[in-house]
Amino acid sequence: MTTGTDLVEVRAGLYHDSVSLMRVSQALISRPGVDVAVVAMATELNVGLAREAGFEVPPAGPSDLLVAIRAESGQALGEAAEELRRQFAELAGGARGGGGVAVESPPRTTRAAARAWDATLALVSVPGDHAFAEAMDAVEAGLSVMIFSDNVPVEQEVLLKERAQERGVLVMGPDCGTAVVGGAGLGFANVLRPGRVGVVAASGTGAQHVTCLLDHAGAGVSHVLGVGGRDLSAAVGGRSTLAALAALDADPSTGLIVLISKPPAPEVAETVRRAIEGLSTPMVTALLGPGQDDLTAATEKALKALGLPVPAWPSWTVPQEAGPGGLSGLYSGGTLCAEARIVAGTGTFTDFGDDEYTRGRAHPMIDPALRLEALARTGGVALLDVVLGHAADPDPSARLAPAIREARERGTAVVVTLVGTDSDPQGLRRQADALVAAGASVFTSNAAAARHAAGLIGSAL
Amino acid sequence: MTLGTRTRAHAPAHTEAFGAASSALRPALDAPRRPARVLAVFPLGVYLEIRTDIEPSVVAVITGEATRLPNSVVLGDPLPRVSPGDDATVGDGGIEIGRTTVRVRRWWDPSPPLGAVELDRLRAALPRLAEVCETSPRRPGLDPDGGAALLARGCADGSLMSAITAAEQLMGLGPGLTPSGDDMLSGVLVALRRLGDAAGVGRAVWLADWLAATVAFDAGTRTTPISATLLHCAARGEACAEAVAVLRGLAGHHPLEPAVLRLLRLGHTSGADLAWGLRMGAAAVVTLGEKARAGA
Amino acid sequence: MITVGAALLAEALDEQAVPRLGVDWRPPLPGTAEALAKVLADPRRARANEIAVGRLTSARPHLVGVRPAREVLDLPRGTFFHAGPPIEWERASGPMRGALIGAALFEGLAADAGEAEKLLASGGVTLDPCHHHRAVGPMAGVVTPSMWMFEIADAEHGGSAYCSLNEGLGKVLRYGAYGPEVIARLRWMGDVLGPVLAAALALSGPIDLRSLIAQALQMGDELHNRNRAATSLLVRELAPAIVDAAPERAAEVLRFINGNDHFFLNAAMAAGKVGADAARGVPGSSLVVAMARNGTDFGVQVSGLGDRWFTGPAGVPNGLYLGAYGPDDANPDIGDSTITETSGLGGFAMAASPAIVRFVGGDVADAVAATRRMYEITLAEHPAYQIPGLGFRGTPVGIDVALVARTGLLPIVNTGIAGRVAGTGQVGAGLVSPPTEAFTSALVALAET
Repeated sequence: MTTGTDLVEVRAGLYHDSVSLMRVSQALISRPGVDVAVVAMATELNVGLAREAGFEVPPAGPSDLLVAIRAESGQALGEAAEELRRQFAELAGGARGGGGVAVESPPRTTRAAARAWDATLALVSVPGDHAFAEAMDAVEAGLSVMIFSDNVPVEQEVLLKERAQERGVLVMGPDCGTAVVGGAGLGFANVLRPGRVGVVAASGTGAQHVTCLLDHAGAGVSHVLGVGGRDLSAAVGGRSTLAALAALDADPSTGLIVLISKPPAPEVAETVRRAIEGLSTPMVTALLGPGQDDLTAATEKALKALGLPVPAWPSWTVPQEAGPGGLSGLYSGGTLCAEARIVAGTGTFTDFGDDEYTRGRAHPMIDPALRLEALARTGGVALLDVVLGHAADPDPSARLAPAIREARERGTAVVVTLVGTDSDPQGLRRQADALVAAGASVFTSNAAAARHAAGLIGSAL
Repeated sequence: MTLGTRTRAHAPAHTEAFGAASSALRPALDAPRRPARVLAVFPLGVYLEIRTDIEPSVVAVITGEATRLPNSVVLGDPLPRVSPGDDATVGDGGIEIGRTTVRVRRWWDPSPPLGAVELDRLRAALPRLAEVCETSPRRPGLDPDGGAALLARGCADGSLMSAITAAEQLMGLGPGLTPSGDDMLSGVLVALRRLGDAAGVGRAVWLADWLAATVAFDAGTRTTPISATLLHCAARGEACAEAVAVLRGLAGHHPLEPAVLRLLRLGHTSGADLAWGLRMGAAAVVTLGEKARAGA
Repeated sequence: MITVGAALLAEALDEQAVPRLGVDWRPPLPGTAEALAKVLADPRRARANEIAVGRLTSARPHLVGVRPAREVLDLPRGTFFHAGPPIEWERASGPMRGALIGAALFEGLAADAGEAEKLLASGGVTLDPCHHHRAVGPMAGVVTPSMWMFEIADAEHGGSAYCSLNEGLGKVLRYGAYGPEVIARLRWMGDVLGPVLAAALALSGPIDLRSLIAQALQMGDELHNRNRAATSLLVRELAPAIVDAAPERAAEVLRFINGNDHFFLNAAMAAGKVGADAARGVPGSSLVVAMARNGTDFGVQVSGLGDRWFTGPAGVPNGLYLGAYGPDDANPDIGDSTITETSGLGGFAMAASPAIVRFVGGDVADAVAATRRMYEITLAEHPAYQIPGLGFRGTPVGIDVALVARTGLLPIVNTGIAGRVAGTGQVGAGLVSPPTEAFTSALVALAET
């Protein structure tokens, strides 16, 4: 039942994206006297969550916005409502176009935006059910497009890529987490130095790891083109991979191409192999999976191809011993998780970036809550990744450090793979220092971290 | 009642501004923090001079509409409100001016590779470059028949003596924040190095090296600090985005004419000065390349 | 760069000083996601829409004649055409009933209103939408065999379309009035106005309405609620021929036309109809080829869906009322005049018509915003119909049901408001919002083709 300190409101027809709303919720929850705050689109899931929390929610649909706040006192509730008003005003301000582009009324579709403005690239991050329309608008307007959204049906992906082929543009994604195009970092991209390495990647975190290592070694990138995890499947046929390879081959800024992918489907492998043979730019292939080079080794190959020395990959170790228990990998990046599992050869690994953990909540690179809960339950050796860069948690160590400290006090050893650069908004050194101070050993190479973690198992016994 | 006096407003809170920086500035920004001062303030840019011997010693903090100088940080946010002479610092990953800390969220290359360019393509592009320049009402700030002609001849002959003599004459010559002579010289330097590299004309790059050494030796004492920094950048082959676009046009990566027209429009005469310099440099690369081919 | 979706990712680009234009995205209208995905994935769609909207905007309507309906339409005695989607007497609103009663009286099918009502209620008259017969009618839009019609021919695609002659303002049949003065006027129109105009047109030759409409837009008409410039232009074209053709009747006819600023509306509607009909029947096309109201339902037809109607309840317009009338006196939306919006005029061309903005409640900025909004849901910009105030940008034309579903923006319709009691006549004018479900159900049906 609704108590005097509950505020429940349904705002019909008001829309904001889930990440923005999550930030609003967090801002409310962090206020003193606020117990619960749900600010979300009124999807079945979100309405269910609010009802479970004891709120009396009136009928609402997914295109309405749901606000449910519970506070200790009427005053706290009033202040929270005021904060909510301020947050929404800010969100509304942010919607009015950005980057100095003056628009009288912002366009409502990508199609209208492409008509109104001379762009070459579109970034689509609407919910997956609706991404196709926006991406198709971009392709039909002759724009390359990065689709950050996931859960886009594969038939739609194929259609988009077929149309893109006709229009001579590139579709990056769907579920493309990172890209760097002409220096601009899209999605979860790191702040990298400009340089000669062009990357084609079917894996976002894989690309981030390789490019960050290259950056440590002083080598920069020309472009990082994500293609989406399904591109090299039989259904999609590697269309974007082939288009991206051709684009980089024709780009005078690119002196070396690195392809990062799971081994392609057998039907596609031959096509890709032939395409690679036809390239005039030197090429390094980093295939993910058992029996392949790890990402660090692949990066080292790339450096050799560039004629650059391989540095000692930065790491900061603290002496630690692990109590009873095996190795638990608690990852936010799927590729890094898979790599660590193979390199360590032991332990249980969880990819918190997987769909089953991200439904209805933000990616662990933005919201660490689930991983923190898991870390609190972990004994033995905990192996985590922390991925820095644009759009990622602005200060991941702030919430991780206390959890690491607790884990260390319990006798759990903690090893962290830190993917990032010094130029990243979070600052690689600053994050490393905080994590080390909390008692974790920190590696910039995931393979090195995994090996180190495996070596710690049972060290206290 | 007070009239005509400005009330001292409460000091605004410290703010952060974000932007994209030329990678030429990376050493200055990555280094430990050093003092700097505001050299000049324009509607589209703020120039800072760092107290250092390392180039670039002048940093331009600009808006997206300004000329994209090779020593600039382009802000997505409004420019900080400062006055000439104000203190600033550069280093430790940021720039502090007034109450604003500028942080870099993207690095861009002020001399993006041109790829390999056939000498014949370059030669074919020269008359088009000349035509666009000649039919434009924009003219360089210096008589192209003076020191500039001497420089052009020196370069085309591959004669180090006359090239250096002409460069000495041009440096600091002419009015303005970036004197016309400097802009022309920058154009020559950038074209010699970048096109020489791209077309495999070693003699042009050699000439660029020597001219660069001359410029680096005493630009600091011969011209304004801003212009000196830009000459240092040009010596390394770095130029404003508009000049780089002309080089890319010459290399066949995109249409030449719009790029030249855009360059010509810059500043009072700066764009034209640079364009004439690029013409001289490009012509020298072709002549030297052909000589080498004939000799081989 | 264009960004659509999470604000977090857009902010990251702003911090990198990457110039971008943000899309103010919202989820599509409820219940359309699946149909949208299918329709947008239809490989025929892009080309089909290009063809359909190309036909709509390339039509070259010419006024070629004025003729009795019985001669040109498939309209036997005992059949009336009416505005909007199909309707039967039981569901018909006040003004529709009034107009049907008046029509029965006019055609001599009944001696008085009571008899007419009985005849209509018993199904003694066949009712069929104008739209099914190459015709359109304003408000009640009732067309009977004895009425005289504008005949519009499309010089581009060869089609033709018809619309009755405008009776003027006040107590008129189209608003449901059926008093003796209404019937007398209709008789005069059949006996004098029609034949004189027919003779005049025979002398003057066809009149190019595409160019006339284009000029009228630049003179401040939007061709739905304001037709003053277009009417004047038409009179300028026709006056000498009217004098030549019928010197004795000329003054009478010209005085009638000049007394009615909306005289041209009916010609504009038929001009719109001839273009919209050319765009019909393109498989896979999501282009709207008709929007029409019968006073009860608002109906939509789509190029790729043949002659099927998709309807929702007609809304009551929002606007200014004449004299002492108020919203309580208003009938739900009625008439085929939304063919103007269907062809890029009317509410879609509001920015061209600063003079009417107060009439529909608002200021010039609202009118400009309304037109700009319509670019979001249309497939093209009209090559001939231009708006001076927007830098001669073409009017937004070619409503796409998929874009309506995606943006949730409904077509803006300028309209007259009929009194809800039969015989009241016009009570105001304003803007009306079409029912969402008419568009969403069309989209769902299109997904099944």
